[in-house]
Amino acid sequence: MTPATHFAEREHLICAVSRVIEEEKSYWVGGGGEPLYSILLAQRLYASGVQYMTEDGVIAPQSMMPWDPLMTMVASRAGYRALQWGTMNTAGNFAQLGYVDVGILNTLQVDRYGNINSTVLGEYEGGQGRRFGGPGGADTIAAQCWRTILMTDQQKRKFPERVDFISSPGFLDGPGAREANGLPPGTGPWRVFTPWAMFGYEEKSCELMLMAISPFVTVDMVLAEMSFEPKIAPTIETLDPPMEEELEIIRTQLDTDGQTTGRGQWIEKRDGKYVFAETQGRE
Amino acid sequence: MEILAEGQGAYLPPDPDGFRAWVRDNKPRTLVPKMLNEHEAIEKFVSDGDYVAYDCNYFQRGPSSLIREVIRQKKKDLWVCGKFTYVALALLVEGGCATRADIGFVGFGPWLSKAVAAGRLRTYEYSNVVMTYRLQAGAQGLPFIGVRSFGGTAGFSQSGAKLVKDPFSGKPVVLLPALNPDVSIIHVHQADVYGNARVFGTGISHVDCALASKRVIVSAEEIIETDEFRRDPARTSIPHFTVDAVVHAPFGAYPGTVQGRYASDVQHVVECFGGTMRGDLQPYLEKWVYSVDSHDEMLEKRVGWKKLQELQRRETIREGYSI
Repeated sequence: MTPATHFAEREHLICAVSRVIEEEKSYWVGGGGEPLYSILLAQRLYASGVQYMTEDGVIAPQSMMPWDPLMTMVASRAGYRALQWGTMNTAGNFAQLGYVDVGILNTLQVDRYGNINSTVLGEYEGGQGRRFGGPGGADTIAAQCWRTILMTDQQKRKFPERVDFISSPGFLDGPGAREANGLPPGTGPWRVFTPWAMFGYEEKSCELMLMAISPFVTVDMVLAEMSFEPKIAPTIETLDPPMEEELEIIRTQLDTDGQTTGRGQWIEKRDGKYVFAETQGRE
Repeated sequence: MEILAEGQGAYLPPDPDGFRAWVRDNKPRTLVPKMLNEHEAIEKFVSDGDYVAYDCNYFQRGPSSLIREVIRQKKKDLWVCGKFTYVALALLVEGGCATRADIGFVGFGPWLSKAVAAGRLRTYEYSNVVMTYRLQAGAQGLPFIGVRSFGGTAGFSQSGAKLVKDPFSGKPVVLLPALNPDVSIIHVHQADVYGNARVFGTGISHVDCALASKRVIVSAEEIIETDEFRRDPARTSIPHFTVDAVVHAPFGAYPGTVQGRYASDVQHVVECFGGTMRGDLQPYLEKWVYSVDSHDEMLEKRVGWKKLQELQRRETIREGYSI
C-alpha cells in the first residue's frame, strides 16, 4: 500500500477505524456516514468476512453502494443480500444476548467517562438548549455491545468535562456505575477516534486516555481541543496516514459525492511532513 | 420490589386489563371488510388527544399519505411515538397536530429547538429500542418489560422508566412501562380487505405496533385476495383481527421508499429535510398537504406519472420482496 499525500481529515478518520476492525468480531453500525464507511472499507481491504448489523434488524448484508440520501435503513440497497431480515427488536435482542462485540457510533459530545450526548447542547430543563435528535439506537449499542467505538471531531466543545445530557451511557460516574444502573457487566466504551487522535480508557479509573495522534498534529494541539485533561498513555503512538488504496475505495465506492468526508480540513505531505493543506477538496 | 431510582417523565399509563376489555368489546373476530378511503380512516380512527404510533417513517416505508391526511384534518394535541423518525414529527408539530413526543430518534433542526423552547412540544426521552421494547410489552399484554439498557442515562430521568432490584437475582434492572398506543398507522406491501397484511424486508416495529394498539389503520400498496394469504400463511405479518381500517394507498410511502417497489424521491426528500433544517416547514405543508385534497390529487398534480415511473425504475432490487 502507498501512503497518501493529500486527503481529508475525515477520510483519515474512516481509514483509522477500518484498521481496528477484526474479522472474528461482530459489529453494530449506527446509522450511515463514517461508522458505516469504516466497516465497509474494512470489508474491502482488511476483514472481508466481517459481519455487521443495523438497527432495523439487517444481519450481515452485502450492501449495494451508493445509497440515496438518508436511505441507510429499511431500504433495499442497505439491506441487500443480508443473511437475515428482522426488526429493531431483533437487533436489540442480539445485543442484549451478548452476540454483538463492537458498536460503532458517531457522537455530538463525549466526556471523561465516555458518556455520549445526542439530545441537547445547553440546559435540558427549561427547554432553552439547542436540541438534537436523541440517542436513536446508540443507547442500546453503548449499553449492550461488549465494546463501543465512538467517532467525533477534535473540538473543545465536543469534549466537555461532563456532557450536557447523557443520552447513551459511557462509564457514567466511573467504576461500577454501569452495573449499579442495570447495564451488563464487562461492556462499555473502548475507543474514541477523531481525525486527530485515538483514545482508549484507563482500566482502573475508567477515564478517557490519549493513546495515539495523527501524523499532522501534536499532543498539545489535541489537548488544546479538549475541555478537560485526559489521561495520557505512557507511550503515544502515531497513527498511519491513509493509504492511496483506501482513499480510492472511499472516493469511488463509498462516499462518492464527498458528502461525509468533504467537510473539515485537508492534509497534504509537504517536505516529507504531513501538514494542513492550503487547498481543500478532492483534486 | 425495591425501587432504586425512577424517571420523572409523564408516560401513557399501562393498563393491560383495560386493553383486554377494549379488545373484547371492539375488535371483530370474523372477517369483516374494512376498506375506507384515507379521509374516512383518519376521521374515524384518529381523535384529538390520541397517543399515535406510526411504523417506520416518512422516508422509509412509512404511512406518509396518512400522516399528511392527519395534518390536513388538523388533528390536535397528539402524543407521538417518536422512534426512528426523520421528519414525521416535525411535520406533525409544525402542522399544529402534535404537542407531546416520546423520543427515540427524531430528525432535528431549528424547528425542534424552537418548538420545545416555545412550549409547543413537550418531549420525554427514551431511545429507539427502548420504545420498541415498550411496544413489545404492549403487544404481549404485559404491564412492563425489563431491559439491560437505559439505566444511568439522563433520558432515564426524563422518562417513565424505573430502576428496581430484580426480585430473582437481586441485581439492578430497568423496567419500562408497556406502551399501548390509542392508534397505530402502518404502511404495508400487501393487504386484503379484512386487514391481513404482509410486510416484506426489514421494519422497525410493525407487528408489535399492530398488536399493541387500540385502533390500527393499515395502508397498503396493493390489495390482494384473501386466498393469497391462505396459500402462503407464513408470510402474513399482521392478522386481520388487529386491524380496524384498510386504506388502498399506492405510493403511500411517497416521498419515501418501499423496498422492492419504488425508490425515494431524492429531490423531495431534500426539500422536506431542508425545511426542517431551515426551521420553516410551512411552504412544504402548503405545497404538499394543504393545497391538495387527497393523496391521489397530490400524486397527480404535484408528482406526476413520469416521476412515479422513474421511482419504480430506480428500485432495481427485487430479491427478497416476493413481488
